This record gives sequence, structure tokens and C-alpha cells, in this order.
Amino acid sequence: MSEDRSKRADEPRLPGVGGDPRESVGPVSDPDGKTWFRDLDEAVVETDRCIQCGTCVAACPSDSIGIEEATGRPTLVRMCTGCSRCWDFCPRSGLRYERIVDLVARDAGLPRHGRNEGADGADDSIIVGEPYAARARDRSEHAAGQDGGAVTALLAELLESGALDGALVARERADEPLRGEAFLATSRADLREAAGSVYTQTMQLGRLEETLEEAGLDASDARIALVGTPCVIEGAAALERYDWAGESEPIALTVALMCTRSFEHERLQQAVESHGVDPAAVEKLDVDAGVLYAVDADGEVVLEEPIGSFDTAALRGCLECSDFVGGAADISAGSVGSGEGSTTLVVRTERGRRAFERASAGLETAALAETGALERIADWNQRRALEALPRRFEPRGSVGITYEQHRAAYDGTDREPEALNPARVHQYEEWC
Amino acid sequence: MGLSAPVVVSPEWLEARLESVTPVDVRPERAYADLGHVPGAVNVPAERFREPGRVAAGTLPDWETFSGLLERAGIGPDDALVAYDDEGGPLAARLLLTAATFGHRGPLYLLDGGLDGWRASYPLSSDPPALEPTSYEVEPPADSPLVGREAVEAAVDTDTVIVDTRTRAEFEASHVPSAVGLDWEALLDEEGWLKPRADLEHLLESRGLVPDRRVILYCNTARRLSHTFVVLAHLGFDDLAYYEGSLTDWVRARAPAWDPLELAGQVRAHADDGIEGLVDACGDDVLSRLKLVGLYHQKQPGYFMLRTKVPGGILTSEQARVIGRVASEFACAPERYGASRQNPIFGDAYLDLTTRQDVQMHWIRLGDVPEIWDRYEAVGLTTLQACGNSVRNVVSCPAAGLDPEETLDVRPQVETISERFLGDPVYGNLPRKLKVSVTGCHENCARAQINDLAFTPAVDGDRRGFAVHVGGGLSDGPRLASDLGVFVEPEQVPAVVAATAEVFKTYGSYLDTAVNRLRYLVEELGVERFREELERAVPFSFDPAGEAVTTSYRGDHVGVHDQADGRHYVGLAVPVGRLAGREFATLADLADAYGAGELRLTPNQNALLPHVGAADLEPLLAEPLLERYSPTPGPFTRGIVTCTGHEFCSYGVIETKNRAVGWARSLDAWAERCGLDEREVIRLHLSGCSASCAQPQLGDVGLRGEIYRDDHRTTAAVDVGLGGDLGAGRFADWIAGRVPAEAAPEGIGRLVLAYEAERLADERFSEWVDRVPNDRLRGLLEGYGDAPESSTAEVR
Ligand SMILES: Cc1cc2nc3c(=O)[nH]c(=O)nc-3n(C[C@H](O)[C@H](O)[C@H](O)COP(=O)(O)OP(=O)(O)OC[C@H]3O[C@@H](n4cnc5c(N)ncnc54)[C@H](O)[C@@H]3O)c2cc1C
Ligand code: SF4
Ligand code: SF4
Ligand code: SF4
Repeated sequence: MSEDRSKRADEPRLPGVGGDPRESVGPVSDPDGKTWFRDLDEAVVETDRCIQCGTCVAACPSDSIGIEEATGRPTLVRMCTGCSRCWDFCPRSGLRYERIVDLVARDAGLPRHGRNEGADGADDSIIVGEPYAARARDRSEHAAGQDGGAVTALLAELLESGALDGALVARERADEPLRGEAFLATSRADLREAAGSVYTQTMQLGRLEETLEEAGLDASDARIALVGTPCVIEGAAALERYDWAGESEPIALTVALMCTRSFEHERLQQAVESHGVDPAAVEKLDVDAGVLYAVDADGEVVLEEPIGSFDTAALRGCLECSDFVGGAADISAGSVGSGEGSTTLVVRTERGRRAFERASAGLETAALAETGALERIADWNQRRALEALPRRFEPRGSVGITYEQHRAAYDGTDREPEALNPARVHQYEEWC
Repeated sequence: MGLSAPVVVSPEWLEARLESVTPVDVRPERAYADLGHVPGAVNVPAERFREPGRVAAGTLPDWETFSGLLERAGIGPDDALVAYDDEGGPLAARLLLTAATFGHRGPLYLLDGGLDGWRASYPLSSDPPALEPTSYEVEPPADSPLVGREAVEAAVDTDTVIVDTRTRAEFEASHVPSAVGLDWEALLDEEGWLKPRADLEHLLESRGLVPDRRVILYCNTARRLSHTFVVLAHLGFDDLAYYEGSLTDWVRARAPAWDPLELAGQVRAHADDGIEGLVDACGDDVLSRLKLVGLYHQKQPGYFMLRTKVPGGILTSEQARVIGRVASEFACAPERYGASRQNPIFGDAYLDLTTRQDVQMHWIRLGDVPEIWDRYEAVGLTTLQACGNSVRNVVSCPAAGLDPEETLDVRPQVETISERFLGDPVYGNLPRKLKVSVTGCHENCARAQINDLAFTPAVDGDRRGFAVHVGGGLSDGPRLASDLGVFVEPEQVPAVVAATAEVFKTYGSYLDTAVNRLRYLVEELGVERFREELERAVPFSFDPAGEAVTTSYRGDHVGVHDQADGRHYVGLAVPVGRLAGREFATLADLADAYGAGELRLTPNQNALLPHVGAADLEPLLAEPLLERYSPTPGPFTRGIVTCTGHEFCSYGVIETKNRAVGWARSLDAWAERCGLDEREVIRLHLSGCSASCAQPQLGDVGLRGEIYRDDHRTTAAVDVGLGGDLGAGRFADWIAGRVPAEAAPEGIGRLVLAYEAERLADERFSEWVDRVPNDRLRGLLEGYGDAPESSTAEVR
């Protein structure tokens, strides 16, 4: 038997950053473009860039990715086949999220997104879609909501009219203060319970399947609304566009909550505690004009601090995000720009428009003429992202970013992939 | 004193007491000497006080080793020790726990933040401290924290908290019953400092860990548990114990749950209660244990794949008929999955021949299993240990005993190995599967290089026996087996297999399932060392290597061939190995009518009908079934091999069988149009994913499933490897990744044409691939660059 040798031995090839015994035994190397969960893990999770959107979990065709309970981040739970799909859909690695936002705007026939990008940016605007100031007609929903309760009211109307079977939203976990969990609301009462903003991520795209199952809904014909931060909606929009095994089929409407950053649950609890406030006593958090407020069950403001003092609790991956408004969503919702007690809604797509009209009975709305405040914060957010993002920001680039391209841009920066703790490499073959 | 709170101390604490305590650096000597250490620190390298190797990896050293180490480092029994490492603390903690277990009298501390934490505020020194050898004599404590497996068994489901300190994924894969998972790293913050006490208490409480409860810790190599132990001691837990054998020991123990015969009994007892009934009676993990009796839970809930073991691929016609009938009666899809329309090409009630000479069928219901087993037992068939972590079906040359040239007829060895391990619980639960192949012919028909353990023929003077190869395999870390350089007699073969299983059990990790196939062990120990270990486990000594008589590599056995006794064997190509149960039964009838009542299966997913007399050849070849399963098929149909794929396998990224049958058919038609049909065989191996069950690395063209995405669409794709050739001892190289599947056949056509046009006399496909630059191969495959003119002939 002759020597082990590979024809590709002389071709330049990028090894992973950690040592993996499997790389050392064989004479054969991977083809270009083969990307494993391990690559995602090292480029995103180990480097603390993961924004816990859950897209990778939903994208994996073999359900190989689970969610680590303690950290709420993706982890491998079954053999990875190296199909690259988790990488391809992760907004922090293989998915050029600004391109997805751009494609959504283009399909909706709207001016395109991303004005700071230069060259062909003539018709670009950061805010695309029709802006409204909206509030729930129902008083208790208005009160329960974070701002105008508009999201709660919109979803409740759609549920009751039969347009939706459920809405995947977030609520605070019962066992841990300030930490959110994904929750599939199937009734108005559920929605009221879940009203208000949760400032941690819930991996909710990765929980879609299991929450449907728990609610006894059949994934093949259920219609649900997905509510989430813009990154979650980017992932969902990409999955809808490039659906492989029906993973996005249940999604009938996407609602983005405008966002400049989200938080890591433990660090958020610690940060609140460090200001002498018991996290468990906090009923509601709110961010307004650069100040973070915590309110207790009696409505007392127990904490009022510049948001900057919570920087260390923010998700590090959020700095790379320019998508404040959630441009990939059918409808975006935020507080900025429509005044106290109202929600700013931006209706973007045909699907969004139909939903908005269908829910009109539950909402008081007025077209929003003045969007300066919205533009300013979106603009600020984008400048911040461009500074932090090691790669080029290219709304017209191709939707995919290969592992090699990622490495070329990130290596040598403080966001470069970090070797994986070998104890976490856990795979097992079940077949054959 | 020993380990009582406070145990974890800060760099400031240490700095203030450098005069009165002894810092102990447990990093390797080199790191200690070259990179600097805490001023005044002595060096006690962890690798010296932790048992090396994999068997008792990390367990306590013997007393002499440990006391000698401390004495040389100038440590006395009453000294205050502050240990540190640069890996987050587990090795330093291990030193402390070891010292405590032996009865160290002085206080024991762990430096928070380790060396990095120290370095952040204080300088390092590279001066070795002056050492005065001591005499280290201590009494072990009356109440040792070290407990054995019995103590853990007794603690299951009691007030004692059993804590698994491995990662969550490891915990989820398997753990001691009633244990709670507490990843040791969760106790540290991002920078490697111990988290604030309140956070720790909060975390521990969430696992039911409060100081007044008894706690038993385990991990895998007694490293991670040490860290948690030390932290718990720091937090005031005082009823702490640890279990060193860790999970390895637990799994290795002969758990009746993993006894194949026991399991078969449970399946029989609960078959009528459905899956829920079985799970209720036997536990959640029963579905994964069922592999040991040949049952895989299918992707479609409630249905199983049943694998029938066929040692050496040899069946009597009676057995083959039973298998065929079982498939046509029981391998039927239910209405909700489309019944006989569930697969547009094959319908249902079919069976698959595999590359390990097994037979697989799908859609089996639990309730039918006892009936199937009864029919099997009546004719001497079994599904026991067809899957799971045990000695798998033994592969051998399908022409064993027929081939006029063979050195040895290996059928007796195949039979003894198979019988030796059948139903034996000791070997039913290896760290991972163990794949064995035995070849007696000169053509390496049983693919020695890709098995964990392989025997190939050798002669030593007038003795005939075997050379032994270990550590081959494919999957995502392919490796060619290494020749151990020994000669064994045929009678010694079963002992070598048993010894290999022993060495595997002793050294192999039960937990790190990604890398615990035998080949990683061979890689780690080295071939020399592996041979020594093996020799220690057999009741004889090895003779030096004889003369190997493997002369060439035979791809398959398709066609009509002469037997040593003047009769013939007829190899039939079964495209992708799939045929209707009814057809398989008909093959058995043909074996009765024209052969001697025997049917064989080949590692190419084909069938072989032996013992056909000259006069029977013609009528056999005229049988209608042989039109479909032909001894003279087109080159692509002949060479096609696939795994199960997406249809039933939850890992399969793409559908394989239907796709490949279609490709083979259209490529054959195209080959005929281009005048390429006199080429005997082109071996296309299509695997649904990188687990490589279709052995893509062996194909002229190897393909494995992927998913392609660009801005416009997403579609099934394949990685393409070229030039696999076991005869030349080489695997296919992955030349291109993620080629959209619909473009693959045309690309393959272009490659084959270019080869035909350019090859030198007798040049094999793999040799041609070898000399053509990779970029050109890619161009041919993907349709750019220069290609022979006739490649425009469409492949459809
Ligand atoms: C992390 C985060 C940061 C934000 N930052 C800004 C900002 O800087 N500027 C700004 O204008 N707006 C921001 N918002 C949006 C704002 O807080 C409100 O959510 C939005 O204005 C809608 O208000 P509403 O009263 O209509 O919503 P509600 O009627 O309260 O309904 C909100 C719905 O969203 C769900 N939900 C809440 N949090 C999450 C979550 N994390 N993931 C998924 N679903 C969730 C709730 O369960 C509820 O169903 C942020 C939201 C989040 C979650
Ligand atoms: S199998 Fe799953 S985890 Fe592995 S690369 Fe594909 S999507 Fe990622
Ligand atoms: S950012 Fe989202 S897709 Fe990427 S690793 Fe984290 S959870 Fe997965
Ligand atoms: S800032 Fe961007 S990345 Fe961070 S949570 Fe919000 S949308 Fe996601």
C-alpha cells in the first residue's frame, strides 16, 4: 500500500483555529467552502460575537445544534455534517445581513437601504417604508405595552381574526429576573401577559419548532408572526428566501423591534445589582434618550442611569449591527419619533400592509410626517456599526460570506476567531 | 486543615504572604523554567502526578510517586500550598485534591485567576527557588473524599447530590442516573476569575446544591471535578466526595441495560405496547440502546430501520428467502407516509444491501419485531449487534472459498469471530463501533485499509496466515490502516480480535465520541506501542511479518467468473443496492434452481450467485430478473454505491438512492452515445453527508451531500472528490465543494471523456487524476476551461 498523500497538499488551505484530532489523522483535506459548526462556533460564539438570534439552530437540517442552558447560546448536540448551512445564515458570519435588508426593500419596491455606503446611494434612505404613530385602542393593552402597546394590539387582532395561529414573542423567565424566553402566544390573554420589552435575546428562531409542538400546532400549516430584534428578522428573512426543508414555512408575518443593542442576561443582572437594585424587583426596563430606567411593580423608578454605564452588559456582537430599524421585517416597531405613549410603526412590505389594515380595529394610527429623530438614531447606529465591523459593509454585495472571506477580514482584529475548548467539540455518529 | 474555607485566594492575598506560603506551579517543567513563574514558586508538573495514558487517565498516582515529587520540590506536610496553572485551575485543583486525599496537614489554596491573574498585577520571576529536600510523611484522613462506584450507585436517587462537571453537551449525551449537570467552567467568569460568591450560590442552588447536603462529583478524567471540588470547599461545603473512575468507569461496568440479549428480551416483552410502552418500561435512552439489537429509530417517528447481519455476506437460499419475505411483508410504509407510493422509484417493501454486507429494511414497526426475530431464528439469522458500539458485521471477500487463487478460505475465521462476539455483553459496549475485515484472496476484496482491524493474507515459509492492519476508517477523518508488521495463524485470529477490543476498552475514551474510533487511538499510541499493547493482551507472542500476498485490488465481482472447482459464480449489479423483497426471494429461488442454494452479498452493495454449473449458466443468464440485476451492466450502473440518504437518515443532507439510480441510468445512456460503453466500470459513490457511509473516498468519483446557496436560490449540492483507488492506497481528494447537484452528472461526463481522450495506455482514472492539475479538473467538472469537443454530448 502506498504512502498517504493528497493531491491538494500544496494548495493553500485555511485550517480551523483550534486543534482537532480529526485534522491530523487523514491524508485528505476538506474542499473549499466546507464549513462546519466548529467554524461558526469559533468565529462567533467563542469570540463572544453571537447575538443569540437562533438562526443557526433553525437552519441546521440535521437538528445538530442545541441551545446551551446556562449561556443561552448555540452548541453542538449531535453530529455535524459540515453542510455549512448554519454558517450561511448567521448574521454575524456567513450572512451579509445588510444585503438581506437590501433585498427585502428591493422586493417591496421601496427605496433601498444603507445610504452611507456611497457610490450608487442616490435613492437610498435608512428608513424605508411608511411610518405611523400607533397605539392600542384597548386601555389595558396600551398600559401593558412598552410604548403604545401597538405590537400587542396588532398581533391580538390578527390572532382573533384568524389570520394568525400564534405569535412568537418573548417574556421574562419565571426562574430568572430580566432574562427572556421565547413564548408562542396563541391568544389575546397570552399577548397581554407578554407585552413589554425584554432586553435579552431568546434564540427564538431556534425555538420555533419546539414552541409550535408544545402548542400542538402543526408546523406544516400553522401561520405565526415572528417578533424579534432586527437580527432575528434578518435570519428569518434569509431562511424564507432560501428555504431548504420548510424551516420558515410557519412564518406568516415578521415584526422587528427597533434596536441598538441587547444584553447578556447575567451581565445585565450584575449591572443592575451593581447599582444597588435587586434584579428581581424590576418590573420593567426602558431606554429613553440615552437613559436606562428600571421601574418596580408599584411603578416607582428605582434606577435611572445613562445607558453607557451598561455597556459592559451589552452583547458584543451588537456593535457590528447597523440595522436599527429592522429593515428586513414586514413591520418595524419602536419608540423613537412618535412621542410618549405611542409606538412608531414602519410598514414595509405587502404582507405587512395587509396585516396592518386587517388589524386596524385595534389600533389608533396616524401617518408620521416627521421622521428626523428616527433618521438620526438610525444614522448614528450605522456609523457605530461601520466602525466596529471588521469587514466591508456592502448592501449590494453577495448575500454569502465564505469562511475564508470572513477570516481575511477578521483575523488580526479583536474579533478574530478563537480556538474552541476541545471539551466542547462533541459529536457523535449514529448512522451506519 | 487541608481543604477548608477559604480555599480560593486572590493574587493580592498571595502577594502579601509570599514569605509564609509555598506557591506551587503545576505547569510542565519547560513552561515553568522558560516562561517564568510566581516568585518563589516550586514546580510540581501535573503530568507527573496524574496517571498518563487513557486507561486510568488522571487517576491518583501511587503514594511513592506523589510523596517523592513533593519531597524533591521541598514541600513538607505542614506547608501552606498555593497552587496555580494557566488553564483555568483544574490542574492546580487536582494537585490540591490529591494532597488532601493523601492527608496533607497544612492549608491548601487555589490561586484565583491562575498565572494570568497574577501576571496582570505582579511580575514573574525566572529564578528557581533554593530547594531543600524534605521528608513527606502523612496519614491519610479517616474519612477519605475518594469514593468508588458502589458509593455512587448507592447515592442515585437519594438526598446526596451527584454532580457531573463536564459540559452540558457531554452531560446530555450520557450521565450517571439522577446526576445534575454543572459545567465546571460555569463557575468562572469570562476572564477566568471565580465568579462572585452570590452568583455562585445562586447557580449552585439552581442545581439543588446547598452546603449541608452531601455531594459526589465526577467528570471524566478527574480534572474538571477537582476544580469544582475546590470551589465547593471554598464556599463552605464540607461533605464532599469524588468518584475517580468517573463516567468511563460507570459506562464500562457491565450494565445489564447494555446487554444485547437482555435488550432483545425487553423488546419482545414490550413489543405490543408500542414505543411509548417500551420507553416507559425501559427508560428514555432505550431507543438509542436498541441499535445493539439492530434497530434504528427512523426519522419518521414510530418506525425503525432493521439491520440484518450477514457475516462475510454469505446466506443460504432459505435465509435469503426469509429476508426477502420479511421485507415484502413488514417493510411497508403506512398510508400517512404514502404507503407504496412513498418512494416514486422503489415504492416500499424493499431492502438495501450495504457496504458491510448487511441487509437493511425500513418502516419496521416494533410490534412486528418478535415475529421477524422468530422467523430469523428459525433459519439462523440475527440482527444482534448489527449496529451500535460493538464488533460489527465481519466483512470478507464475497468469493471466499470460490476463488481459484486465494491463499486462504476465510469462511471459518469469519464464522468464529462472529460467533465469539455475538450476544456477549462484555463486547457489546465498546467505546465505539469496531469494524473488522478478513480477506483470504489476493485482491483485498474486504477493503482492509478502511477497517478498524483487518486481516490480509500472508505466507511465512509454508505457513499460511495473515498480516494485521489497524486503525483505518473513513468518515470525516479518513485514515488508511497501519500494518502492524506481524504474522498470525488463522487460529489466532479470534484472539487478536478480542485483544483489540480489550485494548480499545482500556484506552479508548467512552465519551469523546467524535474522536474515539480506534484510528485515533492508533494515532495517539503509535503503531509500535499499539502492537505492544496488543501483544500483551493475546495469549501468544507475535511472529514477525510474513510475505504479504495482496497483489492487486479488485473493484467488484460483477460478471461471470470461474470457481476453483470448475463451476462459476455470477456477480449481479444491484444499482444502489436496493431491490424489492420479492425480488430478493426470487434470487434465492434462482440460487436453488441453478446454483447450490447459496447467495452472497458484496461490499459494493451487489449480489453474487455461486456454484453455477456450466450447463446452468445460459438459462440463468436468460432469467428475466437478470435484466434488471445484470452481470453485464453499463459502467455507471455497475459502479454506483450510495448510503441511505435523506429519505430515512436524519443526517442525510440530500436524497441519494433515487438520485443516483437516475444518474447512473442517464450516464450509461450517454456513455453509449459517446461510444464509452466498453469501459467496464466507473465507480460513483454518493453519500448523503460527510459521515461517508457510502465510502465516497473510495470512488473514482466520490460525492457527499451539501447545500448550495447563492443570491438567487438554494439547492441540493455535492462535494466532489476524485481519484479514490484502494489499489493504489489512496482516497479521493475533495476537488470541489458545493457543486449544485443538478450540474454534477454533466460535469462527471466531461471528466470521464477527458480521461478517455487523454489517458496513457493502461492509465487508471486515479493516475490520470493525479497528473492533471486541480484547476483543470475543477474546470471540467464545473464547465469552464478547455474540454474535449465531444463533451457537448448532453447528459440527460
Ligand atoms: C432589546 C431591545 C432594544 C430596543 N431598543 C430600542 C431603541 O433603542 N429605540 C426604540 O425606539 N425602540 C427600541 N426597542 C423597541 C421598544 O422597546 C418596543 O418594543 C417597541 O417600541 C414596541 O412597543 P409596543 O408598546 O408597541 O410593544 P408591546 O405592545 O409591548 O409588544 C412588544 C412585543 O414584543 C415582544 N418582545 C419584547 N421583547 C422582545 C424580544 N427581546 N424579543 C422578541 N420579542 C420581544 C413582547 O413579548 C410583545 O409581544 C427595543 C426593543 C428591544 C427588545
Ligand atoms: S450540520 Fe448543522 S451544525 Fe453542521 S454545518 Fe450543517 S447546519 Fe451547521
Ligand atoms: S448569531 Fe445567531 S446564527 Fe450566529 S451563532 Fe449566534 S445564534 Fe447562531
Ligand atoms: S443591536 Fe442589532 S444585533 Fe444587537 S440585538 Fe439589536 S438587532 Fe440584534
